[in-house]
Amino acid sequence: MQTSAAPVLQLTDIEKIYQTKTIETVALHRINLTIGRGEFVSIMGPSGCGKSTLLSLMGLLDEPTHGTVAVDGRPVQSYSDKELAGLRNLKIGFVFQSYHLINDLAVLDNVELPLLYRPGLGSKERRQRALAALDKVGLSARTNHFPSQLSGGQRQRVAIARALAGAPEIILADEPTGNLDSVMGEEIMDLLLGLNREHGTTIVMVTHDEQQALKTQRLIRLFDGSQVG
Amino acid sequence: MIRHLFTLMWNRKRANGLLVLEILLAFVVLFGVSSLGVYLWRNYRAPLGFAYEQVWNVSLNPGGQPSRGEMLGSLQQIIQHLKATPGVAGVARSEGNTPFAFASNNGDLSAGEGARKRVCDVANYFDSSAELRAVMGLQMKAGRWFDRRDEAANSRAVVITEALRDALFAPGESPLGQVIQGPKDWKEVWKVVGVSGPYRTDGELAAPKPGVFLFVGPQDTTHALATLLVRVQPGSGAALEKKISDDIRANGPTWSSTITPLANQRRVQFKQVLTPPVIMGVVSVFLLINVALGLFGVLWLNISQRRGELGVRRAMGATAGAISGQVLGEILVLTTFGLALGLLVAMQFPLLGVLDVPTGVYLTAMGMAAAGLYLLAVGCALYPSRLAAGIQPAVALREE
Ligand SMILES: Nc1ncnc2c1ncn2[C@@H]1O[C@H](COP(=O)(O)OP(=O)(O)OP(=O)(O)O)[C@@H](O)[C@H]1O
Ligand SMILES: [Mg+2]
Repeated sequence: MQTSAAPVLQLTDIEKIYQTKTIETVALHRINLTIGRGEFVSIMGPSGCGKSTLLSLMGLLDEPTHGTVAVDGRPVQSYSDKELAGLRNLKIGFVFQSYHLINDLAVLDNVELPLLYRPGLGSKERRQRALAALDKVGLSARTNHFPSQLSGGQRQRVAIARALAGAPEIILADEPTGNLDSVMGEEIMDLLLGLNREHGTTIVMVTHDEQQALKTQRLIRLFDGSQVG
Repeated sequence: MIRHLFTLMWNRKRANGLLVLEILLAFVVLFGVSSLGVYLWRNYRAPLGFAYEQVWNVSLNPGGQPSRGEMLGSLQQIIQHLKATPGVAGVARSEGNTPFAFASNNGDLSAGEGARKRVCDVANYFDSSAELRAVMGLQMKAGRWFDRRDEAANSRAVVITEALRDALFAPGESPLGQVIQGPKDWKEVWKVVGVSGPYRTDGELAAPKPGVFLFVGPQDTTHALATLLVRVQPGSGAALEKKISDDIRANGPTWSSTITPLANQRRVQFKQVLTPPVIMGVVSVFLLINVALGLFGVLWLNISQRRGELGVRRAMGATAGAISGQVLGEILVLTTFGLALGLLVAMQFPLLGVLDVPTGVYLTAMGMAAAGLYLLAVGCALYPSRLAAGIQPAVALREE
């Protein structure tokens, strides 16, 4: 395929401005970024500098005010709603900073969610994949719990399992270890490193942990919406 | 996906219970209105069995207290006079239970003896002279109508309607020449000479009832029959009416009459009978609008409360169509639940037979109410589902 030569994600001249009635917030300014296939990139920066905003643009959850986001060399604007949904589903696994689990669904059903929107996948296979993903994050014993019955760290791991279940090409993780103790954090980090190494999964991870960032191939520093290193 | 929907809905059973209740209420209202509507429509569509145009009801009032003999004498004179009047095509005598008169004369009937006895609980009795068939344009189905032979017979000749025949006789069995039994205290022997079509004097909106015509001869003094049904030539109007009225008064100084075309009586009856159902219908429409607004409101609220969940689904790869499909799917499942409960309630009516309404009416009404319910539910869910489909994941997730 010709597209495989192109970078997985390419952000060109990105500007994101949040407009509210009273103020205009420039969340991202002049961002130019290329994420290559199989890269493991970490993003660091102080609170409010635009890390989550950047990640949601990469995850095709939001649109930039200016500039283009291209997936496999093709600008996102040229995709239809249906194609975008397909990309989010097949290509991208997203770990939200605040988990965003569905409270009315048990852990297992939550993890199955991305597979549900994948045509041609039987319920048995969905279940198996979800169980395997939960196993990887060490939550096999909590499959029938509801999110409200879990600790913050456990919820975070469910969110990670959900992103893993679809075996996506790209994992976008917003502080995936933010709520975990150091041992658990290490384990998740090893899990991500393993995925990157063995399956060539492209990973972009927001973190506040210098040690973790050092283990990744590239570090992007953001300050006040701009790239500083 | 369907199992997923059920799981989700089960986990949200408290909120969904309210919706099911609302839907159940809507069904009950729809079922009530449909039952009434179907009942009236079916009655309306059934043949009346007679021609009411150009027939006048002439109610005679002898005034004073003449003896039966005197009365019959005057009556015969009046009828003879009427028959000779230009513009009059026929005159028949009847009891007061003429078409659209809001009067009925009914009782039970039976045929056969012992184990083979069959009973009809309610049938209309029509005391009538031999002219009734021609004046009203009644249809004969078997046997014959009354004629001179019946005047001399020692049993009383009767003609039964098909509905009464079906109630009293086995299929294929001929009722002609058979004896039927009226109420016990009536000592007469009734012999069937013919089978006629219906004669629905209660009007188009009332349920068809079986009926029996009882012969009254011209010399019969036991049944005075002071109501006349007069067929007039087309185009007859006030002039003829006045002439008839004057002639009646001329026949006997105390005699008076009230003349009303059956078409007028029919209109009056129609309005009166239809007024309560129409009021009920209007009230029900308001009720349904309320229920629909409630449903719409709850669904809308539901969607705004679930923006987070729907945003997550969008982020996980659900298309806009999948989201609106989910919302519609959920409401359809809930509607089906509400419908199932509603049908359980509705089924009690034909099962218990509380009202004297044929089961077919209820079944049709159930079908109509079910269709109406789905229409209502989808109608109420359409806008909320589109709203849901328009949710932007980044925006919705930020709000959580
Ligand atoms: N929907 C919004 N409307 C207005 N302003 C917003 C919106 N979303 C984000 N912002 C602003 O954009 C800036 C960047 O926010 P963002 O969430 O990307 O920061 P962050 O780097 O992820 O912070 P943290 O480390 O605390 O998670 C912030 O100043 C924030 O107030
Ligand atoms: Mg953030």
